[in-house]
Amino acid sequence: MSEAILKIENVSKVFGGLRAVDQVSFEIEKGEIVGLIGPNGAGKTTLFNVISGYYAPTEGSITFQGRAISGFPPYRLAREGIGRTFQIVKPFAGLTVLENVVIASFLKYPRMADAEKNAERILDFTGLIDKKDESAQGLTLAGRKRLEISKALALEPSLLLLDEVVAGLNPTEADKTIELILKVRDQGVTILIVEHIMRVIMNISDRVVVLNYGQKIAEGKPGEVAKNPTVIEAYLGEAQA
Amino acid sequence: MKSRGRFLWIFVVVFGLFCIVPLLTKNTFFLRIATEALMWIGLAITWDVLAGYTGYLNFGHGAFFGIGAYTTAILMTKAHWFFFPSAFVGGMIAGLVALLAGFPTLRLYGAYFAIATWALGRAFQQLALVLDITGGPDGMRLPTFLNPVFFFYTMLIFVGGLFLILWFLLERAPFGLKLKAIREDEEGAMAIGLNPARVKVMAFIVSAIPAGIIGGIYAYWITYINPASTLGDLVTDQAVVMAVFGGLGTLIGPTIGAALIYAFKTYFWAYLSQYQVLYLVILGAAIAASVVFLPDGLWGAFVSRQEGRKALKKGLALKKEKRA
Repeated sequence: MSEAILKIENVSKVFGGLRAVDQVSFEIEKGEIVGLIGPNGAGKTTLFNVISGYYAPTEGSITFQGRAISGFPPYRLAREGIGRTFQIVKPFAGLTVLENVVIASFLKYPRMADAEKNAERILDFTGLIDKKDESAQGLTLAGRKRLEISKALALEPSLLLLDEVVAGLNPTEADKTIELILKVRDQGVTILIVEHIMRVIMNISDRVVVLNYGQKIAEGKPGEVAKNPTVIEAYLGEAQA
Repeated sequence: MKSRGRFLWIFVVVFGLFCIVPLLTKNTFFLRIATEALMWIGLAITWDVLAGYTGYLNFGHGAFFGIGAYTTAILMTKAHWFFFPSAFVGGMIAGLVALLAGFPTLRLYGAYFAIATWALGRAFQQLALVLDITGGPDGMRLPTFLNPVFFFYTMLIFVGGLFLILWFLLERAPFGLKLKAIREDEEGAMAIGLNPARVKVMAFIVSAIPAGIIGGIYAYWITYINPASTLGDLVTDQAVVMAVFGGLGTLIGPTIGAALIYAFKTYFWAYLSQYQVLYLVILGAAIAASVVFLPDGLWGAFVSRQEGRKALKKGLALKKEKRA
């Protein structure tokens, strides 16, 4: 818990007249799990896409391990050590589970045999090893979300961005995924997680950042944030709408 | 990985059978057909690199063939080079054009890319029509070397070697998996460190260089080239039809497709020439039917069937489904 691995300073992303992300600043320290929450349309996924290079920020700067990375393309960020998953999973559908992870392993292990070994190790870790020869599109949703995590882990990232990896899973599957996330954290990977399910965020996050209408409205320990009147208003307001 | 040994065996047998063809027959007509069949196999599999593995439909593939043919012709007639270095340089120039054309065009998707490459093909045909060095519409004559056996073996060794190299590159080496990742999901591929523009341009070059060399061999073999014969739509269209009919993304499919369609065409022209007008009609109907009933091509349909049978025998549900 010392230096910030990721520093987000006054980051905005504007689409036409819409400020999807508006002057957001926060830091993530090494080894932390930070939860990013907010009502639907709060700008969580947009901020994710800015951090992972899919959108360039309109304003502001992002620093990763002391390097300014704003505007870097996603494949360069992957090399710098940022792995991400997608809310709408993006498996390479026509390929097998193993092949999916092998491709991600090429970044660190350019040779086929080494990449395969690494991919099998990762699949063993994420619990997909029994399905390694199945087609990626044949997996259940839980399996595909696990595959997303496996591919991101194959990059051996120092920062992992998880976009709704628990949403849509049944309680047993959700518990297993939470267990997996904690296991990843224990290996020294810093994690930023977007999630709708409060139970997940509150249980695993060291800190929580709350967005609403693109702006950061609260930040702190999960327990404190849950009692924050602004946060409660944001959520209840959305429920009434 | 189990199929590796069997694949090599089949390859060696087929290659060996081709090798003894000139020993069995002195019929030059037959040798010519076999040489041209090999040529179309080469063009269909090189087209498949981009279309089948990367998912980009290149309707300007004929341009690379033509560039190779013209480069070879120019180097041999104006600079008096030997054939092999000329054809090699022809391939390199085709690769260079792919590099330069690839960066802007491979940012386009789907139909836009197809249109851009089609325009590229047209542009090169126009260029060959108006330039002096290419002889304009009159085309170019190359030094004649009338030795069908030489050209048969040149084509056989080149296309056979090409098939092996592409097989290794696309089915065994990391490169093939990277291409498939881009075909399946470009955004997802970026997240795991792949630079799609770079990988796609490399695929474009890998597809263009051998097409250029094949063009060079064709030019020296046929001894006369013109903008219509080497840069016309027909070169691309036939390669496309053969690859699609055989089954994309497999190398084996386009090989089978090229062999069958070329055999059909030759048979038609040689023995049913009074019905020539029907050739394109029947071919068109066959293609339409194959697209509707065999969307994965002949080879794709065959593989699915085999997998289905195996799975039924084991009493399991299908494991590796084909993409819809």
